[in-house]
Parts: sequence; C-alpha cells; structure tokens
Amino acid sequence: MDQQPSRDETPPAPAGQDSPGPECLLVCVSPGPLCQALIRAIHRLAAAQHARWYALYVETPAHARLSREDQERVSQALRLASQLGGQAVRISGFRIGDEILAFARENRIAKIFLGKPHRRRWRRFLGASLVDYLIWNCGPIDIFVISGEAEAAKPLKSGGAKLRPLWANYGLAGVGLALCTTVANVLFPYLALTSVAMMYLFTVVIIASALGRGPAILSSFLSVALTAFFFVPEYLSFELANTEYVVTLVVMLVVSTLISGLTARLRYQATVARQQERQANALFEMSQNLTGRYSLDALLDEAARQISRIFEGQAAILLPDAEARLILRAGDPIADYDVTEKIVAGWVFRHGHLAGAGTGTLPNVRGIYLPLKSSRQVIGVLRLEPHSHEGRLDSESLRLLEALANQVALAIEREELVTQARAGQLQVEAEKMRNILLSTVSHDLRTPLTVIAGAASSLLEEEGRLDGATRHEFVQTIYEEAKRLDRVVHNLLEMSRLQSGELKLNTEWHVLEEVIGCALAQLEGQLHDRPVSISLPADLPLVKLDVLLMERVFVNLLENAAKHTPAGAPIDIVCRVEGKTLQVEVADRGPGLLPGQEEKIFEKFYQAWPGRTRGAGLGLTICRSVIEAHGGRIWAENRPGGGAVFRFNLPLAEESPLDEYLPDEAAHPAH
Amino acid sequence: MKPRILLIEDDPQIRRFLRASLGAQGYELVEAGTGKEGLALAASQAPDVVILDLGLPDLEGIEVIRRLREWSSMPIIILSARGQERDKVANLDAGADDYLTKPFGMAELLARIRVALRRKLPSEEGKPVPVFSLGELKVDFERRRVFRGQEEIHLTPLEYKLLTVLIKYRGKVVTHSQLLKEVWGPAFIGQNPYLRIFILNLRRKLEADPTRPYYLITEPGVGYRLRDE
Repeated sequence: MDQQPSRDETPPAPAGQDSPGPECLLVCVSPGPLCQALIRAIHRLAAAQHARWYALYVETPAHARLSREDQERVSQALRLASQLGGQAVRISGFRIGDEILAFARENRIAKIFLGKPHRRRWRRFLGASLVDYLIWNCGPIDIFVISGEAEAAKPLKSGGAKLRPLWANYGLAGVGLALCTTVANVLFPYLALTSVAMMYLFTVVIIASALGRGPAILSSFLSVALTAFFFVPEYLSFELANTEYVVTLVVMLVVSTLISGLTARLRYQATVARQQERQANALFEMSQNLTGRYSLDALLDEAARQISRIFEGQAAILLPDAEARLILRAGDPIADYDVTEKIVAGWVFRHGHLAGAGTGTLPNVRGIYLPLKSSRQVIGVLRLEPHSHEGRLDSESLRLLEALANQVALAIEREELVTQARAGQLQVEAEKMRNILLSTVSHDLRTPLTVIAGAASSLLEEEGRLDGATRHEFVQTIYEEAKRLDRVVHNLLEMSRLQSGELKLNTEWHVLEEVIGCALAQLEGQLHDRPVSISLPADLPLVKLDVLLMERVFVNLLENAAKHTPAGAPIDIVCRVEGKTLQVEVADRGPGLLPGQEEKIFEKFYQAWPGRTRGAGLGLTICRSVIEAHGGRIWAENRPGGGAVFRFNLPLAEESPLDEYLPDEAAHPAH
Repeated sequence: MKPRILLIEDDPQIRRFLRASLGAQGYELVEAGTGKEGLALAASQAPDVVILDLGLPDLEGIEVIRRLREWSSMPIIILSARGQERDKVANLDAGADDYLTKPFGMAELLARIRVALRRKLPSEEGKPVPVFSLGELKVDFERRRVFRGQEEIHLTPLEYKLLTVLIKYRGKVVTHSQLLKEVWGPAFIGQNPYLRIFILNLRRKLEADPTRPYYLITEPGVGYRLRDE
C-alpha cells in the first residue's frame, strides 16, 4: 500500500527506560477510510520485528454521532486487527489522547502509530490536534503519524435516519427555552434578575440531561441571549443599561456551558455503563446457561434461544455435517433459506469472517452471519435475522453478538471435547467388559456345548451298543443343555440391550398373576421337582409394566433360586400392596447369602459361589436394570429361618385403566 | 395322500433337521431358501401348510405373508427369533396363522402343524361340534353350559363368548386385538387390560391353579392360546 512511515515527528524525549522483551506496538484506530490499510501496514511491521501489537479505539461520546458507515469501519478495522494477530481493544473515555497514553503506559507500548488526522479545518483552529497532544505528553513513547493518499474521499453523510432525532432534540431544546421564557415573563414582576438567570440555568440542566450536549450548548447561548433581550434593561433589546449586567451574563454563560458539558458527560457515562451492563449481563447469562447442558443439542437450542431473545430476531446455528455441508442444528427454521443465504453462510464458514446484512461483506441477504470459531478452527456459523432496524445491527450490538458467538463456539468446543473424552472412556469400559464377557461367557457357553457334543457323538458312534435307557438319558441331557444354552444367550442379548441404553419400556397394564404364570411355564423343566407356592391378594390391582422384561425378572429370580438350592427345596413367591407400592418377594430355603454379598450379587459377572454354579452372572444384574427402569428397587437379604429372599417393589399408578369402560359384569375379579 | 409342507428357510442346517424330522412324521417337505423361491413354490406346489422363517435374505417375512395372502388362504406358521414380539403381532395381523419362537421343540412344531392342517379341512371349518371337551373341561354349545369334571361352572355371557372364540381357534394363537374384536367388537381393539381381566376371571373359574394355567395359555406380548388336546 501507499503508506510510508514518516519520522519527521519523533518525540523530543529520548527513550527513558529500556522496554524489556520484544517491543509492543499500538495502532490507534479511527473511523478514517485508511485505517484498515494502516492496520495491515502495522501488522507487517510487527511481523518483521516479532513484536506484539494492539489496535486501540477510544470511544468518546462522539462515536454515537458517527455515521453507520464510520462505525462499521471502526468495527471492521478492529476485527481485521484481531484476525491478523493483533489484540483489538476498545475503551470508552472522553479525552482520546489521555486514554491512548494511559493504555500505552499500562501495556508498555514502545511505539504508537496514528493515521494522519482528517479533522475538519475549523476544529484545527479550535484546539490542538490529537497528534500534537500525544507528542507533547508521550514521554518515552515514540509516536508515528502515517499519512494516506490525499484525504481519501470522505464517504457521503449517511442518510437522515441518524440526524432526524438530533434535529428533534434541538427543537425540543427550543421549546423548553420558550416555555422558560414565558414563565419568567409572567413571574418577572416578582423576581430579581438572578432568579431569572437561575430559571434559565435550571432549564439548561434539564436540556443537557435529557437531550445531550449539542442542544445544551445551544440553549446555554440562547438563554443568555434571551435573558439579555427580555430581562435586562434596556428591555426588548440587546443593549445593556449597566456594565454590571455584562458580568452577570458572562458568568451565566460560563456556568451554563460548564453545567451542560458536565451533565452531558454524566449522561454519556450512564449510557455507556448501561450498555456495558447489558453486554456483561448477556455474556454472563449465556455462559451460565451454556454450562451444564447435558447434550450438544440442548446447548445449541439454549444458545439460539438466548441470542434470539437478546437481539429480538431469529437466531440459528448451522454446523457442518460429515460432508462439511452446513446444517441447521438449532434455532427457528429459516424462511426462504435460498441459495444466496447458503452461499453467504458457506463463505463465512470457510473464511471465518463475519458477513451478511448490515456488514461490509456480502450484505445482500437477510441474515447476519458470524463464524463460530473454536481455538483451532471455524466450527460453525451463527445466523441472526433481526426483526427491526431493517435487518441491521448497530456496531455495539454487533460487538455483543460477536462476543456471544465466541462463547457459543467455546461451549460447543468444550462439549465436543467432553463427548470425545466420554467416548474414549466408554471405549475403555467396553473393552474391559468385552474381555470379562469373553472369558466368562466362553466358559458358560462351552460347558453346555461340551455336554451336547459329547452326548450326541456317543449316540452317533455307539448307537448299537447303547440300551434304550442310556440313549434316552443322553437325549434328555442334550435337550436340557440346549435349553440352558438358550437362556444364557437370551440373558446376554438382554444385557447388551439394557447396557446399550436402547431400552425402551413397552409398558401396558398387566395382571401380575399372568406374568408369574408365564415365567413358571418357561421354567417348567427346571422347577418340576420343587414346590413353588404363590401368594397373591385376590384383589391385586393391574400393574403397568413391560411384560417381557418383567417376565425375565421372575425367570431369573426363580432360576437363581433353583440354581442355589438343593433339589426339592421349596420356593415362595409373595406379593402384597403396601400403600402406593407393590411388594414382591421370591424366597428360597438354600444356603442364603454370605455377609457383604447382598449388593455384590447384583453386579455384572459376579459369581456368588465361583465354580459351583453355572451362569454368566448376569441374571440379577438384568433384574436390577429392569426393576430400576420401572421406577422400583430390588435388594436381597437373608431369610429368617434360612435361605435367601429377593425383594423388589414397583410403584403403583394412581389411575386405573379400567374405570372408564368397565360398566358391566366382571369388573372385579371373581374370588 | 401325504400332507405337503412348504418350508421357506435360508439356513441349511435347520432345513436338514426339519427335513429329517418331518419326513419321519409322514409329511412331504418342499424346501425354499429364499422368499421369492418360496412364493414360486407356493404357487406351483400347492402346499397344505407353509412354514416361514422371518430372517430371509431377500424379502421381509411380512412381505411374503402379504403376497401369499393376495391369492391364498393356506395356513402359514412363522418361525421367529426371540425379542421380536412386535414383529410377531404385525405378522399375525398381516395374515400369518401361528408362530414358533426359535429354538423350538419338535413336539411344538408338530402340534402347530396339526392345528393348521385341521383348520384347513373344510369339514371342521365353521361347523361347530355340539359338545367340546378338553381334559376335564366340557362345553355344551347347545345348552350353553360349561363343566369342569362333574361340576357346572357359571360363566357370564361375555366370559362364555370369550371361551367359545378360543375354542373356535383352539390350538392356535389368537392375538389380543382379534379376541377383543370378536368378543366385544372393533371399538374395543387396544383395550388389552380389559381382556386380561376377563382372562383372569375365566382362569379362576376354569383352572385348577390359575397361576399355572393348563387350558388358557398366555403368549406374552401376543395373545392367548387354548390348549389343544
């Protein structure tokens, strides 16, 4: 570009202290059209010197009066600076020079770079320029002023939208003064001149606090003029009868301009504070709400909802899918999401640069698109379509939006890292589980298989030599072992289904008696030599449960009892209703549980008596998963008088499924 | 003439075992390894019963059932794996007559085949016997009386109707919705708890031990079946 650093304005003071480490550079950002070029130049300079650099913009009350284009230029310049590796800083203050120097001292800046000022000529006469001020006050810091090519065409004043409210303010100030003059005129016969002056001062204070600096200063002058014209002899003329009045009027002028200045400053500070508070609140709320979301989708939804609320628009978050196509992941569906919008979204995603409506880049769409940047890359795009402002945001809001987008990006990144970590952990656990499973299951599968293969081969090879009874014995063994193998496989399948989290209860209202009956029917072969007593209240209500899983619970509990007790030992099933729960117990008269085993037996692959009984150690684990999925609890204890008892409870629903359509007979079980 | 059975099953070992067992029982077996082949054989061989495996490589089992039902009412027995209760109901609703869960015993399969063949005989269809008896249970249709041994059992009209429907399909599974529709009417389809209460009451009247029913067998998640002989 065409900037050349000019050293003709080096400061007189020599570098007092050696700045430690690499030098820090500071670029002062102004709304001037060449600012971006300046930032690029400093970026190159800093890169050559391996220096850190800052881009600083001091926001004065005047900032609010800048045209939208100028404001946007400032934002763009700051964004550019942060993209190029500099640190973009915005501070608010009144005296640009002081703020710059304070910042420079705080951050040990060695060199300050400024664009050549493009002040309007009359202001140059009024006061020292910023450059002069900096040079006089910079101490050991070097000041560089960089000039652009001519005074690049100043953009046209932006439309009247911004000016109209100002004219209205001046008008209002005029009305206020007219009102004050009228009142003073009415009261004048009873008042001294000082009181009239006070009334005008009062009016100026009100105007300053309500309407801002310009109208306040205008009304200061006007009020002095009005006082001189109406209330100072000679009346109705500007001639002053007494020179003493000159003092009164001059003091009045000075006081009122001072007051208007101070009040306007207060007003500005209040506005800034309000804005900062709003931003801080929004950021705080966002960070609060984004932590502790349990899934990415919940997080994205929350973020989109909040951004929509803060900016009164439609926010949407687009993330790339596996083929790097942007997909709407959260927020309201985008009406007319046409090709142009898609192209802009894609551009933003690829370039990591904001674009869209109301920005300098690709503005011919309805949405504003911001990149969601994680620490490594662009991970998505945030889209906002404001309802008002003709789809545009002021630079203030845009800045807030950018900050929020950064937070969202960080939250997404954190969520992804958590997911990765969790997946890694799951994988380790799955690996461990697979190993245990393989060793346990291979044993449990191989035992019945060995028996089956052995019996079958005997039948094949020694067919002629076996008598009928032996043959029958073999065949019976094969059949029973095959059944057992089936149950082991079934439990394994059930377990993997329960573990994978795919378990979805398929609940219906059931008669418990029927469920127990099905379980008993399944175990007919195993339980044939045992007395199983069942005690159910005749008026047992219907229970809402998943019948296949609950049947599994009974099968596993009964099988468990059969496995651990000697043949012929009785098993008792007792059900009763206690308050709002159904209590069920399955009790045996076996050796009972060893102390400390009561909980362990529900763990996966736990064998109460290793080597003595066969089974994968999954039956009770499945029981626990199923009962807990039904909202109940299962536990085991020793039974008074010997043996073990497994108890579980299930919550009983308040409502009954039959009330509505059981008008006739048999609504109640026959006894 | 030997009853002809069409077996549509892709696993050669299961085909081999069924070929041996069913052959020994005096059935003629026609085998198909895929659904399409099975459909072709069903048309050309006119089997008396179809045994259909649900895990075919080329067609969904339900698709085979639908296509068969487009032109034929031949009995279809499906073979399903565990944990496919919903599929079972869907297949039964699509027109299958009965099902067996793998692994199954030969006795069960033969019982299903017998029921299916009996239902295919025109003499049995729609022609009620005057007295039905099963174990100790005796139902006199003409006088609408039910006995267990010597003792007369008093059933409500709906319970009696439920029992007669089950007798009509004895040995065969009847789904919840089919029972509700035939006993109470189509408006009651889906009111399974209602049916369960009636079955419970019926069991308490008919069964010696209602928790271990002998006559009224529950098919969990699917429906009920009245024991056959």
